[in-house]
Amino acid sequence: MLMKLLNLIILLFVPFLMMGVIKKTKAFWAGRKGVSLFQPLYDFIRLMKKDFVISRTTSFVFKTAPVVAISSVLAASLFVPMASGSALINIEAGFVIFAYILGLGKFFALISAMDTGSSFEGMGASREACFTTIVEPAFFMIIASIMALTGNFTFTSLKGILENAGSYGILITIFAVAALFLMILIEGSRVPVDDPTTHLELTMIHEVMILDNSGSDLALLTWGNSIKMLLISSLIANILIPAHFSALASTALYLFIIFAISVIIGTVESGMARIRMSHVFEFVFIMSSFALVVLSLVVARMFGG
Amino acid sequence: MNIFFWGVLLLFAGGIFALVFADKYKTKIITLFSAISAILCSIPAVNVLCNNEILTQTFEFNDIFGSIKFGIDPLSAFFILVISIMSLASVIYSNGYLKGYIEKGSAVSSHLLFLPMLIASMLLVVTCKNALMFLICWEIMSLSSFFLVIFEREKKDILKAGIKYLVFMHISVIFIILAFAFMSIQAGSFDFDSFKEILENNQLTANIAFLLAFVGFGTKAGFVPFHNWLPDAHPAAPSHVSAIMSGVMIKTGIYGILRMLSLIDMPSLMISYTVLVISVISALYGVLYAITQHDLKRLLAYHSIENIGIIGIGIGTGMLATAYGHPYVALLGYAGGILHILNHSIFKELLFMSAGSVYTQTHTRNIEILGGLIKSMPYSAILFLIGSVAICGLPPFNGFISEFLIYFGMLNGVTINNFFAFITFMFAIAGLALVGTMAILCFTKAFSIIFLGMPRSEQAQNVKQDVSKSMIIPMGFLAILTLVIGLLPQYVFKLLENPVAVITRTPLELSESTIAIMQQISVIMSAFLIFVIVLIGLKIILTKGKIQMHETWGCGYDRLNNHIQYTASSYASPFLSMLRPLFKKVFDIEKPRKLFPKSAHFSLHIEDIEEEYVIHPLVKFDEWFLSKFEKMQSGNIQTYIKYGLIFLVIIIAGCLLIK
Repeated sequence: MLMKLLNLIILLFVPFLMMGVIKKTKAFWAGRKGVSLFQPLYDFIRLMKKDFVISRTTSFVFKTAPVVAISSVLAASLFVPMASGSALINIEAGFVIFAYILGLGKFFALISAMDTGSSFEGMGASREACFTTIVEPAFFMIIASIMALTGNFTFTSLKGILENAGSYGILITIFAVAALFLMILIEGSRVPVDDPTTHLELTMIHEVMILDNSGSDLALLTWGNSIKMLLISSLIANILIPAHFSALASTALYLFIIFAISVIIGTVESGMARIRMSHVFEFVFIMSSFALVVLSLVVARMFGG
Repeated sequence: MNIFFWGVLLLFAGGIFALVFADKYKTKIITLFSAISAILCSIPAVNVLCNNEILTQTFEFNDIFGSIKFGIDPLSAFFILVISIMSLASVIYSNGYLKGYIEKGSAVSSHLLFLPMLIASMLLVVTCKNALMFLICWEIMSLSSFFLVIFEREKKDILKAGIKYLVFMHISVIFIILAFAFMSIQAGSFDFDSFKEILENNQLTANIAFLLAFVGFGTKAGFVPFHNWLPDAHPAAPSHVSAIMSGVMIKTGIYGILRMLSLIDMPSLMISYTVLVISVISALYGVLYAITQHDLKRLLAYHSIENIGIIGIGIGTGMLATAYGHPYVALLGYAGGILHILNHSIFKELLFMSAGSVYTQTHTRNIEILGGLIKSMPYSAILFLIGSVAICGLPPFNGFISEFLIYFGMLNGVTINNFFAFITFMFAIAGLALVGTMAILCFTKAFSIIFLGMPRSEQAQNVKQDVSKSMIIPMGFLAILTLVIGLLPQYVFKLLENPVAVITRTPLELSESTIAIMQQISVIMSAFLIFVIVLIGLKIILTKGKIQMHETWGCGYDRLNNHIQYTASSYASPFLSMLRPLFKKVFDIEKPRKLFPKSAHFSLHIEDIEEEYVIHPLVKFDEWFLSKFEKMQSGNIQTYIKYGLIFLVIIIAGCLLIK
């Protein structure tokens, strides 16, 4: 119970810290001092207090969509095992519910972007929808293969790879982690897929979808996006944390992995530029190929004599 | 069982009775009759479904037909419920939809004669246990739906679509006749029960019969590559007919496949793999082409192909698991597939009806010239939104439940521990996920281009009010159904055990753990829905007076107009550009010329590759081949009498020889 409570606390604060760490890392590589680690949290609080400016073209969809989006992310987070290694709701095939609830949030985010009648937001929405079609099957394939390997259809099965898969375990872990890391970059709209700090609407993906959102809507959407990054990072952490660790040790390792991922994201963002839009698809497809590798490794392990 | 026949008879009677009355009362009379009939038919169906009994009735005819058996088992009962409830919804809807046509003076008499006839024939198809009678009912169903499709027959393209539909239905029926003939020759009887013995004893016969029947029924259902009639027939038909056809009628094809499976003791591996692979391809193909469409009803028609594919994935999973001897996985697969039949008929009817509402108010099906309708038609917009979310399989609506069951079945399918089964299931899981996300892309496109943003044309601008109550109410009823099934899956799930037992022939109890998962989903989804509603309420209260209205951000440019908005083609374009070889693009371009160009336009139209590379060459070949016989048609009556004479002589000589 205590550990499950810990999940909630992590959910509330760690996403902001992750963003803070990414910002700090980027500042470090740029040779700046950077803003405080808690700046994203301050921004959130400030935005929550602000008034709204809403486009005349919009309808009630635009007003309700941020609420649906954040609720869906929060609901999805119930299914993801965090620090304690077990999720708040741990049921079989939970990853299907997880993915589909996130899909609901995405559906509303997309139509809310289209609600403004802005061509920029349409552009962002169409790109976002397109990337999802590539990412989601790969995600399903990875998770389903790992679950088939361990014979356990809950997210807890992620923990067993290293123990259950023998010499294949290491390879599967590497490719699964790499694919999920790419998923963070794509779903979280980070460099090299998208640049959250860019100021040119034509090249944006996620940022351009929320151009017209303001006040608490914007705060909720940004928070939702960082929670999504935390959730996928938690999956990575669960693959990496050995099953026999004690609760305290695994919590510590969990937090370490989360922040390590943030540092890596920050480093990637400092080290490389955004890929040209026409080539982003090729980058996204890397995740699919990793998923195929995971599948074939699992097949090799299960049927390869 | 008698009550059921009274219900069917009432439908036929209602159609004829309505002929007597003036046009404005006809729809009301049909509605009354089909409401009573729906109640009458549902009573025995509910009884059978809950108590797991089998009702039969045999009619003694003369020497030609012999005795003909009708029966309601749980599988038939499930389909009776789907048919009667869903048809009733669209008959109620037709009251409002046909009003405009009746006021304009269109002839609706024959249309309203065939509408109840279609429903009655579908009810008979799913209860008939005799091959000959089945074919007769099947043919009544195909023909009456053909006449319903060509409602606006003065338009050339509608007539053309209707004839295409007629041709496809007859290709389909040829295969069904072949399958039935093949079985009845060996069984020596037209009774389905006698087929059972034949199919149980001989695996090869079972395979051939099933494949023939699968082609025949699959054409009706719309499996790729036999789907080609769907995207033409659905847009041509009036919306309430499209709703019945897509929501209910194509499911009779699925019924045929399931009935065949119930006759076969155990499907062979080869067939099971074929069904599963074809289903995955159908689902992907359907949703891919749906994304390319700008015609709202064509788009929905392609989604029918996708959903038939999803149903097929469930059935295929069930077959594969049965073939490998894993009954529990089979139960999950079949249950998911059968539940998706119900779910699809609910949300697809809802979507076709709201598409019909858009059509009645704007007189166009081209979504590219719509936009901003959410302001003038808020109810239709919300209902379309609910339908879209449900069809994408997103929680908390019903589509999610059936897709979840299919996923769960396939995940459990890995316990089969066979290399090919494992690979197939893994790719089917990824394929289903891909279909889901593509559906999201397609319906965010459709919903936002039709209802959101600014109006893109005069037609969209001029809409002043929403459609009438008689159209909103049946849609609202369906929308509530989607939510009820989505929130209370455990009760619906319990009802599926008996129909599945008809197919697998071994009664199975759902394990506690699966029921527990369903209960958890129910709790989670209800909590989620309440959470969202409370949050929205809070937001409305807290943000009161804190909202400023302004123009949409346009990079500093504040004279935005409706032409600047993203269109449906541009929304789908990044995705479609990835899959370029899979369809044929037809451009229509007029380039701006000279110094001060007066006019220019660009339009893009995407054609079905099957249409282009399979159907067209076939039709061309047919025309060429048949033109060889042109000389026979001289227009001279004496020649025709000669032909008749020769034909008679051959027949008589043939009969004599055989004797």
